[in-house]
Amino acid sequence: MTHSAPTRDHVVLWVNGRRHEVRGADTVLTLSAFLRTRLHLTGTKTACDEGDCGACTVVVRGRVAGSWDAIPVDSCIRFVFQCDGQAFETVEGLAAGGTLTPVQQAMVECHGSQCGYCTPGFVMTLSAVHEQARQAGTPAEAIDWPVELAGNLCRCTGYAPILEAGSVALRCRDAPRPLPLANRDTIAAESAQRRRDMLDLEVALPARCHIRRPATMEQALDLLATHPSAVVIAGGTDIAVDLHHGTPMPAAWLDLSGLEALAELSWVNSAVNAGARVLRLGALATWEAVRLACREACPEFAALLARFGGPQIRHVGTVGGNIVTGSSIADALPFLVVMGAECEVASARARRTVGIEAFIAGGGLAPDELLVAVRLPLPAPYELLQLAKVSRRNDLDIATVGGAFRMTVNGGVITAATVAVGGVAATVVRLPQTEAWLTGRPFTPATFAEAGNRAVGEITPWSDVRGSADYRRQLIRGLLRRFAALHTSHASDGAPRL
Amino acid sequence: MMDTAKTTGGVVGTPVPHESAVGHVTGTADYVADIPASVDELVVGFVGSPVASGRLVGVDIEGARAVPGVVAILTAADVPGALYFGPIVADEPILAQDEVLYVGQPVVVLAAETAEALARARDLVRIQVEPSKPILTIDHALTQQRFLGAPRRIVRGDPVAAMAAAPHRLTGVFHSLGQEHFYFESQAVLACPGEDGLLVVHASTQGPTELQHVVARTLGLGMHQVVVSCRRMGGGFGGKETQGCLPAAMAALVAHRTGRPARLVYGRAEDMRSTGKRHAYRTEWEVGFDGDGTILSYRVAFQSDGGASTDLSPSVLERSLLHADNAYHLPDVEIRGQVCFTNHASSTAFRGFGGPQALAVMEHVLREITAHLQGLPRPHGTAAPEVLDVQRRNLYRRGAGQTTPYGQSVEATRLPEIVELLAERSDYQARLVRITAQNPEDPRWLRGLALVPVKFGISFVSGFMNQANAMVHLFTDGTIQVSCGGTEMGQGLYTKVRQLVADAFGLPLTQVRVMPTSTEKSHNTTPTAASAGTDLNGAAALQASHLIRERLAALAATTFAVADPALSPDLAAIVFADGQVMDSRRPGKAIPLSDLATKAWLARIDLGARGFYTTPGISYDYATGRGSPFYYYAQGATVAEVRVDRFTGEVTVPRADILIDVGRSINPGVDRGQVIGGFVQGMGWVTGECLVYDDAGVLLTDAPATYKIPAVSDLPEDLRLDFYQSPDAVGTVVGSKAVGEPPLMHAIAVWAAIKHALSAVSPQAASRLRLPATGEEILRALAHGEQPRALDEDWPHSATMARWPRASV
Repeated sequence: MTHSAPTRDHVVLWVNGRRHEVRGADTVLTLSAFLRTRLHLTGTKTACDEGDCGACTVVVRGRVAGSWDAIPVDSCIRFVFQCDGQAFETVEGLAAGGTLTPVQQAMVECHGSQCGYCTPGFVMTLSAVHEQARQAGTPAEAIDWPVELAGNLCRCTGYAPILEAGSVALRCRDAPRPLPLANRDTIAAESAQRRRDMLDLEVALPARCHIRRPATMEQALDLLATHPSAVVIAGGTDIAVDLHHGTPMPAAWLDLSGLEALAELSWVNSAVNAGARVLRLGALATWEAVRLACREACPEFAALLARFGGPQIRHVGTVGGNIVTGSSIADALPFLVVMGAECEVASARARRTVGIEAFIAGGGLAPDELLVAVRLPLPAPYELLQLAKVSRRNDLDIATVGGAFRMTVNGGVITAATVAVGGVAATVVRLPQTEAWLTGRPFTPATFAEAGNRAVGEITPWSDVRGSADYRRQLIRGLLRRFAALHTSHASDGAPRL
Repeated sequence: MMDTAKTTGGVVGTPVPHESAVGHVTGTADYVADIPASVDELVVGFVGSPVASGRLVGVDIEGARAVPGVVAILTAADVPGALYFGPIVADEPILAQDEVLYVGQPVVVLAAETAEALARARDLVRIQVEPSKPILTIDHALTQQRFLGAPRRIVRGDPVAAMAAAPHRLTGVFHSLGQEHFYFESQAVLACPGEDGLLVVHASTQGPTELQHVVARTLGLGMHQVVVSCRRMGGGFGGKETQGCLPAAMAALVAHRTGRPARLVYGRAEDMRSTGKRHAYRTEWEVGFDGDGTILSYRVAFQSDGGASTDLSPSVLERSLLHADNAYHLPDVEIRGQVCFTNHASSTAFRGFGGPQALAVMEHVLREITAHLQGLPRPHGTAAPEVLDVQRRNLYRRGAGQTTPYGQSVEATRLPEIVELLAERSDYQARLVRITAQNPEDPRWLRGLALVPVKFGISFVSGFMNQANAMVHLFTDGTIQVSCGGTEMGQGLYTKVRQLVADAFGLPLTQVRVMPTSTEKSHNTTPTAASAGTDLNGAAALQASHLIRERLAALAATTFAVADPALSPDLAAIVFADGQVMDSRRPGKAIPLSDLATKAWLARIDLGARGFYTTPGISYDYATGRGSPFYYYAQGATVAEVRVDRFTGEVTVPRADILIDVGRSINPGVDRGQVIGGFVQGMGWVTGECLVYDDAGVLLTDAPATYKIPAVSDLPEDLRLDFYQSPDAVGTVVGSKAVGEPPLMHAIAVWAAIKHALSAVSPQAASRLRLPATGEEILRALAHGEQPRALDEDWPHSATMARWPRASV
């Protein structure tokens, strides 16, 4: 094994401009625990410890194309080792000079806090939004506040005063910077360098835990070949929750976050359909990056992704993590399935491509393989698409049922139909009998009502905390009927949009 | 008390920021978990019962004891004082002794040097229980005749005869589920041993005196050996009225036993599983009415899920009885109630305290009446009444000598005006017509509209609880520290007290500081609850301020008269304003308050005072169910519009109009926050917040991943709030009115609007809707509406209310 990058046995991170080196067991603390118990920065609150309320939100600063990015993340589901080479702002860093920032001032004046426990998290998210808007020149009216604040819950205010504070702060043009970031130049120089290091941490908890962060793809594949039982971590938003709920600390981690090339999004040519648009998603691309890329190319998918966690999760959770975890209720998977996405897989031995259906059905990764990228064809303009996520709450919730419905209608007749649903079987599944029933039939409510009957025969839903099996069956029927209702202009008596 | 001196201008009535707002936004406002640890502090945790019901056979702590860093492992046998506690009946053990009564009930307390050692030790504790069949539903408790406390009954007239004589009669059973408080700061307590047996307890609690009492009894100490202090809570909502007692007793037990500071902070799942929630209710109702929808007789029986111990359940139930009428006159009426025992964590106070459950039933019944009348054949040319018509017919009105079922006058009601004003401002009638026309045409959305009036009695029903004390200390530099028995949970009590005291002395806010609530300063207090925090504590603080001001005014009057022989000393001429004191006849000769205070100190005049306030003129006889328990009624109304996806049951709220009487608001910013926040919290109760238990009584919704409080996108897209200016004077502090609980009940309008939306499909679908109206519940109701016979078998006598989200498995 050759290591071109230097290997480091400790974590370097910055908090409010101050540099910290972290060694030993502290590197597997969550960032929130590290801030509160080691740095005694108790302004950062934890209320749920599983990334579901945003009270612990801190802002990651990174130098991107000459400016300083500001990304809100949940510090309760982020391990210290994942923070290596990164700079953070916490609520204590904002008014360091004694003057409140515009966001803080607006929160005070608009009665944006009551009990105050969620407030530091809201202040940090708002500060990140404010900083991004300032850099991009976005006016307050153009901010989609419910999307930006979906990752922060509040039990007292009913949110209205916080939304007002966000708008008020953004109109405050000549005020101090939203996020100060002391020592920015020093940090910029060192952090870029540190992110390229190979990280090799050995921790006694007292059980031994070995964390490796390779700097190159070759290193990663070599390490996986020699340590196939290592837990591969990308964004870590799932595993951190599992650990909080009692999953034992793994003996070995392989942290992929050093492989920056894997985060790229690019447009590629379709192998099967010349001219079709195919988006290649690097396995480490975050869902927020995908959402932004799809806003014009596939608004339906972008709208669905706006409900994928909150910003704190979307900025961290990766395409690869979501697919490899392969949950039945993964938000994006039904869409990937109906579009026939293809997974690029690599090992030290070879590279191969495997269809998304086969991948999630269990033909996924060998122990020494990594998911490198996903090729996602986007629908043609004439295709009809319904992407559904039904959950108890609209935002920041896990789907009870998810579904993607893709159809082509010609002269009032369905000429092609692909349906994939989640939450009603062990994995996201296609519904071949339903598809077969739909294909060649007139686009009428009756066709879809009968399709619902077929669909419930193809699924094996269960009852759990998110809903009964009956409810899930009702939803599958309902989503098919809704597809017909939403596209009534395509009914056999109407002219299809072509 | 004489109070002739005046202040001018001032901050009362202005939306000054929350007194901790700057601390909140800078992260410097500390909660119990943030208090820096002392070097010898212990981390405390507990192990709870693994099952809902059974005999406690044994506890194996040997493995846990061997973990390095473990300092103490305690069970019921280690409790030196009283094992049982409770605000009404002492029937809840600090630690389970012979039997376990709910999943998560504390059995073993552990203390360790580090959180890691505590976690390892907790995993090694083995609790052996011989399980027995738990009671997990109200129905099961009813068949087993397991109750907490005596049945309750309020009756007026002859409801049975009136029912029999009524032209129309309807009957049914209504179900509402509980609600998790989801205060952001979990239960948290730090117990610090002091010298000579003193114990200082920092706790997140709405009831410091209650905690002090329980801790002292548990440890066998006098109350004078325990100090409980609370600077602020990260939310309470009733969940910290009595629920803080158990964690406080556990931490105190460790501190007492080890002589070391001991901190216990509940994890979220631990908190959600082991602490009480809003009571689920099963309500049987029967109503008799005439052809216009006027109620002639109403009979209702509330059965609440009280959980495993008495806690506050009888008081919660009593408030349900007293709010069965909501805002409507019930001539002949019988209201009954019973608290059911179940093997759940004991249900407890939650914003509204039994009111919401009762109001929801009444609003349901009015809509059933309307639907019934609409289904009848009408004489040609006459229209069937709409819901609002029926509401208007039954609404309490002035000048008719009407009283509530328990005999309190409603002569001060402004609800007729509020309802009409709101109907007009919200364009209710036109929107109703539009929605009714739209629904059959819309392929996807069912729209619904509802107006719900809210009348809510203010005062603790237990009369003795309506008392408060406060202490004001004026320093010689003209600054003030004030403290009171009320606690700050975000609702703005401290902010309002600060405003009141600042104005009393004509001082800027910066000169007045509200100090943490502590039993050292305010003793024998009642919990901050029942929306009465400001009414009681604000009045007490003001009274203390006036005592000091009177003394200062006398000194000032003399001083000015001595300096100016043309003046005779006149207390009425003394004005406190802008940090100055003056004789209004010589405004140019003002002196700074600090000078006057110093002068008073030198003259040996007391610059401290304690205020004590009791609510006047309230009385209630539990035995007869008669009296005037409420000082006044909070009143208001809300119109909500909803949009229901008929295929998935998903709900959005395009618009809500709230009109509410908060009197002369001390702080419109704080009050607006209380109204909107309470309304959205109520929306959670009636829509998406759904507690789900498994068949063994384990709460499955024990985290925000599964228990969904409203998020930002659930806020009504168009939310309009107006304060109604009632012309009536009320004898409260500066004429302000309670605002804590009533807004939550305004959200019943959202539930009623969903019910209205479903009525566009069929009256049966609407009739079957229970509360909360989750997406699943809405689809269930719609499906039942489509197939009225096939799915009717166990409705409305559903046997598994507490578990109904799983009942259709």
